[in-house]
Amino acid sequence: MKKIILSAFIAAGMAGRLCAAVAEDSKIFTPFFDMTLSEAAFLPSEGNIFSGGNINTQVGLLSKITQKDQIFGLYNFNYSGPGFTPQDSRQFTDRNMSHGFNIEYRRSITDRIRVRPGISLNKEFRRSGANEAWKNGLYNMNSSGGQLAVDYTFDEEKNGYVTLQYLGRVIKFPNYTDLLSEFQGSGSQGNIDGGLNDQTLGQVSLRPAWNKFFGGITYTSQNYKNQKVVLNTGVYGNTKQKDTDTMLDFGFHHSLWILELYPVVSYTMHSSNQNFMLYKFLGDTAPQFGEKYYDFKEMAFSVPLDLNITSKWAIGGAVSFTRRAYDKRTARDTTNNFTTTKQVNTMTTLTGSIRKRINEVAMVRLFGSLIVAGSNNKFEQYMPYSYTGNSFGIAYQLSY
Amino acid sequence: MKRLILTFLALFLIKGAAFAAIDWESKGMQMAGEIIANPAGFFYDFQQDLEATTPLPPGKSFGFQTGLFPTTIPMTYTNVSGKFRLHGEGRIAPGVPQLDLIGGYWDMLAAKMATKDSQTIDKAKFGGYYMGAIMSSSVSPRVRTFWGYKYSVLKAKLDFKPGKEPELLGTRVNSFDTGFKDDFFIAGIETPKGVSKLWSIQLNYGLKTQTFSSKVSWYGKYFELGLNIFPEGVLVFHPVWNFHLNF
Repeated sequence: MKKIILSAFIAAGMAGRLCAAVAEDSKIFTPFFDMTLSEAAFLPSEGNIFSGGNINTQVGLLSKITQKDQIFGLYNFNYSGPGFTPQDSRQFTDRNMSHGFNIEYRRSITDRIRVRPGISLNKEFRRSGANEAWKNGLYNMNSSGGQLAVDYTFDEEKNGYVTLQYLGRVIKFPNYTDLLSEFQGSGSQGNIDGGLNDQTLGQVSLRPAWNKFFGGITYTSQNYKNQKVVLNTGVYGNTKQKDTDTMLDFGFHHSLWILELYPVVSYTMHSSNQNFMLYKFLGDTAPQFGEKYYDFKEMAFSVPLDLNITSKWAIGGAVSFTRRAYDKRTARDTTNNFTTTKQVNTMTTLTGSIRKRINEVAMVRLFGSLIVAGSNNKFEQYMPYSYTGNSFGIAYQLSY
Repeated sequence: MKRLILTFLALFLIKGAAFAAIDWESKGMQMAGEIIANPAGFFYDFQQDLEATTPLPPGKSFGFQTGLFPTTIPMTYTNVSGKFRLHGEGRIAPGVPQLDLIGGYWDMLAAKMATKDSQTIDKAKFGGYYMGAIMSSSVSPRVRTFWGYKYSVLKAKLDFKPGKEPELLGTRVNSFDTGFKDDFFIAGIETPKGVSKLWSIQLNYGLKTQTFSSKVSWYGKYFELGLNIFPEGVLVFHPVWNFHLNF
């Protein structure tokens, strides 16, 4: 579930990056390049040391056709390696890699209003700790779609504008299948339940920004094409799964004397009509039923702070916190039975860093983090819920 | 300032409580298993260390490069790479990017010596080459972006003498014959760090094998220092030291 939401937000984020690129008056073509790279060692309180990294590369070209018309093409390569992850999302050893292509046409209607229709293609590969070939990932995903955005500038002096955007995506999971059904079905040839995760996604967002303050509301709807809702009898009903997310977020990026502060806070309400059957073992004849198992409210904030000691060097610190409270899902005890208490997951990260600005377009950062994850869910056979961990790493950024 | 440093020290001291004992033996076994599963991938990462995939400096027509560490030492990859400028930026017409041809070859000295002197190795052949082109364009007086393509090939073959086969993770290894070849897409950016000193960061992505790496490099008139990162490799970090001459 989390992966779909993440992809949707990435799609929205990409759109934001597209919006950020600005043509230089004197040029017909303006290139855009942004590369961030990080690699870290992770030491969990249980389990062995492992390494993981992230690479994000965006290369694009903005073409100014006329004074009012522009076309922007962007390619985005993203790799997200092993690392500590929020509970109920993915395993530490999972990683994903994606290629995104976006083309956006920009038309200035007036001095203050601009429209931005665009199309997008994305191919995402996922790989588990079993190191299967990238092309065989169970959750590999292809998406395609379009967007329409309207920007209204209300304060040119302080870069005040508001963006209303709609984007739609058709998302397919070519390898996804219901492994349990295949196992249970005698004579199964594999992939009998292909397409179960295929879906359409629609997203509407309204995002104002002014004087380096930004925020907005984003509503996302996912409609599954084939996946049905499981009933308390243990069989699938006729209703198709539908998920929605409503997210509010706010942040700013301001400097005061030598302090550079860029906090972000967000609140997400996730709703799904999907239920859950808990089989404790294969052939369990008395499975436990979890109604509206995936609904949750999640609050997250992150407060990064850099102290610019000199024009080149800065010492940084950051605190981030995430709390997810499920509406109806109850926590499980150590023997995998539902308790009567609603499940709550928390994750806190403290980071210290040293940043060096190499020149006006490049910087490097050394960082160390302490992560504390907690949950009242005590069944941890497949995923860790309560743990501490450390990570140390290096990150580069070069942006033009 | 002192207070801040103390705060950070305290933070890192608190972190100590969260450390678990690191099982280096288990980690070593895991890495050995990954090498056995994909030996060509492991050796190809070192080939990428010697590949000269940055553009020639503006005004230079050709150049030579040889990898010193970790290629020649300790891997014994004797190697040479070359770059040749087809045309300089803006020479044909304003705005036309610089275009360089690149290529190189390596052969593992240790494999030749092992074949000659070893009691256990019957035949060994480790080597590879690459070729391609890099297009570079200045986007400001201090920033140059580059794009490129390279075709890389690696061949790794090792036969052990009968009765002398080693055991790895409980399995007797008679021989391995493996290789690697792929078409790569390259994208990077270069910016000056000082007088005649440049800093670059680039992505290399293999279209068929989906092998990828990031190279961060600092280079001057004679030497290149780099940190190559292979997130999916056995050895994630490769510190790199190369020698080059450009004319």
